[in-house]
Amino acid sequence: MNETAGVAVDSSIAVHRERWRGKTILGLVFCSPLILIFLLLVITPILYMLYMGLDRSIYPAVFSDPIFIQTTWNTIIFVGLAVNVKMFLALVLSALFSTEHRATKILAGVFLLPWAIPALPGILAFRWMLNGEWGIVNKVLNDLGFASIPWLVRRPTALGAAITYHIWKYLPFWTLIFVAGRRSIPKELYEAGVIDGTSSMQKFQYITLPMLRNLYLICSLLSMVFTLGDFVIIKIMTGGAPGDSTHVLATLAYRYTFQMGRIDWGVGTFVTALPITLMFIFILIRWVK
Amino acid sequence: MKRRGVLTWRAPWIAALCLGLALIGPGLAGVAGAGEKPKLVVWWNKGYYKEEDEGMQKVAEAFARENNVDVELTFTIQDDLGPKIISALIARRVPDVAFCFFTDWQISPKFAWEGKLTDVSDVINELKPRYIESHLKTGWLFNKAENKWSYYSVPIEAQALGTHYWKDLVQEAGLNPDPKKIPMTWKEHWAFWKKVQDNLRKKDPTKYGKLYGIGMTESSRATDTFYNFEQYLLAFHGEVLSPDGKVVAGEAKNREAIVKTLAFFTSIYKEGYVPPDALTWTDADNNVNFGNKTVVMTPNPSISIPAAAFFTNKDVYYNKIGSVLQPASPVDGKGYPYLVSVKPIIIPKDAKEPALAKKFIRYVLETKHFTEYVKASNGRWFPSFKDVAADPFFHDKKDPHVPVATDQHLNYPTRPFYYSYHPAYSQVYTENVWGKAISRVVTEKWSNEQAVDEAVTRIQTIFNAWK
Repeated sequence: MNETAGVAVDSSIAVHRERWRGKTILGLVFCSPLILIFLLLVITPILYMLYMGLDRSIYPAVFSDPIFIQTTWNTIIFVGLAVNVKMFLALVLSALFSTEHRATKILAGVFLLPWAIPALPGILAFRWMLNGEWGIVNKVLNDLGFASIPWLVRRPTALGAAITYHIWKYLPFWTLIFVAGRRSIPKELYEAGVIDGTSSMQKFQYITLPMLRNLYLICSLLSMVFTLGDFVIIKIMTGGAPGDSTHVLATLAYRYTFQMGRIDWGVGTFVTALPITLMFIFILIRWVK
Repeated sequence: MKRRGVLTWRAPWIAALCLGLALIGPGLAGVAGAGEKPKLVVWWNKGYYKEEDEGMQKVAEAFARENNVDVELTFTIQDDLGPKIISALIARRVPDVAFCFFTDWQISPKFAWEGKLTDVSDVINELKPRYIESHLKTGWLFNKAENKWSYYSVPIEAQALGTHYWKDLVQEAGLNPDPKKIPMTWKEHWAFWKKVQDNLRKKDPTKYGKLYGIGMTESSRATDTFYNFEQYLLAFHGEVLSPDGKVVAGEAKNREAIVKTLAFFTSIYKEGYVPPDALTWTDADNNVNFGNKTVVMTPNPSISIPAAAFFTNKDVYYNKIGSVLQPASPVDGKGYPYLVSVKPIIIPKDAKEPALAKKFIRYVLETKHFTEYVKASNGRWFPSFKDVAADPFFHDKKDPHVPVATDQHLNYPTRPFYYSYHPAYSQVYTENVWGKAISRVVTEKWSNEQAVDEAVTRIQTIFNAWK
């Protein structure tokens, strides 16, 4: 009797293992195009970049570039300010767009427009608006009795313009994410809060914020990774001017690689930023888990 | 159950077969197409006017027909084509022929140095009797891999610094707009444009309050800045490199000339005769500002400004815009050489059809073909060949612009940029050290001397690292 039972168990395990193996192989077959693409287009270039980055002789050349340190600072300022201000505003605005009022829905539609506008014409339009002589921003300032400001001619205002554009462009997307996050918070929690007599601020502090905490952090990290690699805004808006004072690592790496033909220096620039990027990704993965 | 099992165990083989076919397929297609005509891959800079592209398309088609070959000709704008050629040369997956407006300063000096370009001395030697002598220097480059100087690019057309101005604005300012009446001594020349601005602003502050007399590009992101600076540096009798490629910018005489040149650029800006945004202009922005009439004049390294008007408004081309050359040296009141930026064709060393590529270049540069092509740019480019330059198009006395450029190229001394002396200078050019120096003085309040010293030190550092 026992023997029969033992054979039955063994047979069941064998069938289960067989089925699992079959499923795994089939799964791998169906995933193979994606795996192949991932290996070819993601893993191989990264490994090759790391291999090139092992050449120590490239770093003295990159670090001796007089604009490298300032460029690193610019990147920190650009990413730090753009991401944090944008995320904070997105969190605040998501409260407005979470309301059920009809006007809010119309407003939300309009609010999404910057996200839908292609980056290039958007940045060029910004540049024209900020033109020192005939831009609309200075025209408004002049009409109000203020002097013109050469926005793109000074490093702080030029970087500020790039940060402002970034926030304008990507704020709607992250606001939308937070709106979705807010809507997933159970209404019962707010109802319980009402019964306990909590104020709006207390609801935000004790219900909304803790419930959105993880989402907020994950979004911030994702946005930091995206913004760190953002090349287009600075390239088109300032092109590093005035006097190479507004470059970020992405535009500097582009200059090294595609204008000077120094792919090794371009790699060196990215490898310099890699520990920070990897740290963000590592924290991100930990949080997602 | 059985059906699923079959699917499960056959699937990997089916997938492997599909993958194998996908990988082998192109190879099989190559075998099948082995008997086909040879194919020449040509990457060409997109012209500023459609007539240029049409002209090149016609030449390529005729070449393909006459030689029974396929020519794959693609046009790309220079901002994209430069990086595309650089990437191709690094990856060693190259076209057979490449022509880009950025090649002379961004590509050929460095890649000839690395031994990645085909020696084209045979083509040059055949064409030599036709060449304007000073244009040839751009193709003469050093190959460090083989430790020899030779021709690694074929120069075909050039540009030099001209000055364009609005005649009607000068007239309205109460001054004589005739090109012959524009003062051509250094001090008087620049004082003239300042006076136009002052007079116009005084006459109608509302209309001309934001009009500037001098549309000088002073930005670190524009190659025009570098062009203007080095041209006026010659006016101040300064040199950055010796003809054998050594840095001489630090020598007292040259340093003084560089400081004076920088002082000229920064003073006209600080005095308010140059638009404040000129510090951030791209190469296109002086054209745009001139077109919008927010500047009275602009120095520009080609006659692209009037040439564009030719196709859109003949009255503007013939009557409203004037063209003159550069004022005499402030040092001795004499002339000085004009810098010519000569645009060459290259054949990468890894090209699959180098012999056919040379044949194509010879064909394109035949007098008849090249004359039609270069004329289509309406004078924006000046040919590197004397026979083409002899075409009546370049000498039409009714034309107020093209003969000015012709005079400049044929009757004045011309010389190449410093990147023709040493490839390290192409990095100096890309870093735009002069644009940065201008910015140091204007926005960061450095002295001209401090900014020059930083620039010269940077040039020396770049040269020291170029081994």
